[in-house]
Amino acid sequence: MNIEKGKISGQQLLFLIAGFVHGSALLIDFTVGITEHQTWMVILAGLIITVPVILSYVVLAKRFPEMNLVQINDMVYGRFLGKVISIYYIFFFLMTLSFNIRDVGELYITFLMQDTPFIFFLIVFTATVSYAVAKGIEVLARVSHLFVVTGLFAIISTFILLIDQMDFSNFLPLFELPFIKIFQGIHIVSAIPFGETVVFLMIMGCLNNTEHAVKKTFLGLMIGVVSLLIVAIRNTAVLGGIQTIWTSTSFQSIRLINIGTVLTRMDFLIGIAQTILIFLKCSIFFYVSVTAISQLFGLKSYLPLVLPLAGIEVIVAATVFQSPVDHATITQNAGIIYSVPLIFIFPPLSLLIAKIRGLPKPERGKGT
Amino acid sequence: MILLLLIYAYILIANVPGLIKRKEWKELIVFSIFYVIAFGLGIMYVLGIPVPSPMKGLQHLIVDILGIEYPQG
Repeated sequence: MNIEKGKISGQQLLFLIAGFVHGSALLIDFTVGITEHQTWMVILAGLIITVPVILSYVVLAKRFPEMNLVQINDMVYGRFLGKVISIYYIFFFLMTLSFNIRDVGELYITFLMQDTPFIFFLIVFTATVSYAVAKGIEVLARVSHLFVVTGLFAIISTFILLIDQMDFSNFLPLFELPFIKIFQGIHIVSAIPFGETVVFLMIMGCLNNTEHAVKKTFLGLMIGVVSLLIVAIRNTAVLGGIQTIWTSTSFQSIRLINIGTVLTRMDFLIGIAQTILIFLKCSIFFYVSVTAISQLFGLKSYLPLVLPLAGIEVIVAATVFQSPVDHATITQNAGIIYSVPLIFIFPPLSLLIAKIRGLPKPERGKGT
Repeated sequence: MILLLLIYAYILIANVPGLIKRKEWKELIVFSIFYVIAFGLGIMYVLGIPVPSPMKGLQHLIVDILGIEYPQG
């Protein structure tokens, strides 16, 4: 029995995925430090590599309708191994959620409200996310298009306002960086914004109609990718070689907007857009974590776990890294390496095993 | 510290009576496990006791023990 009773439409899935990928715009700074002016290429290469993997997620979800990832793991790998893999996934969801909550705290403490205690942002933000999660996936899905439109407005408007300061020679020379740096950049991009869409395997079971799931998923992904590309192109064109020295290239480039000394200090726009989009991303991660844990234990409802889990996430987010530099260093290595099996191996493997074993079998189609 | 106790008292009051009333014992047990972990972590944070970071352990396992790492610089 699936823990979630709510249903979402294909259109809502599209906006959830678009907002989810777009919510990682701040995180491409992890890549910028490595791939510099070639970040836009790395985003495109990462997309090309991840497309078949994401396709496997959707095909898997279509093959096991109305089932979530924990149920699929139980059915494909058996009850014991399935549970071990599900625990690995839950660890990944919880860790990624804590990183994203921390990102919001770091964003505010570095750029917007330097004198406020760090833990305050984490508590307020996590409490808001918990409230959204307690309302269920349907409510989140219904408002997701507003988040995406707000994010796109901020990105497109700042791009237009910065056009006069762009220097497109900043993209030259092409193919200058060593292969290993490009490879690491592609790995970061394919793991962080794109590969994290594996969380939707917990949500696609709520789709009321899986007929157009592939089309909707890729349309959502494309909106997210275009927004990431606009951000990468804008930052490189405006900042050029100095973009690698800033902790947030987006904020730094937006601060340069100066239209007749009237339109200045537009960084609040990015602050608002990023907060809204990371809120959507964190809500999806929180929802997925709490439903996966509830499904694992065979609970009737996930609601009792929301507040205790929020308490755990606040403390983990506050203590998991010592500084933004520590955050970047670990994410660029262990952070993207440990998630490789979860993103690139298990879903296609599950699909292969399901095809060979002819799963799901109608008479055994109940799961946990 | 007082704020932490108030928050966790609220979490207890908001969840436990309903779970007992509906006789959802499994939910109550899982809730209690997560509640104790969350409260323990909260107490550690407030008292300034270092909370072990799972990512530090993972970094040690992947980089130092398994030797999988991207070259720096």
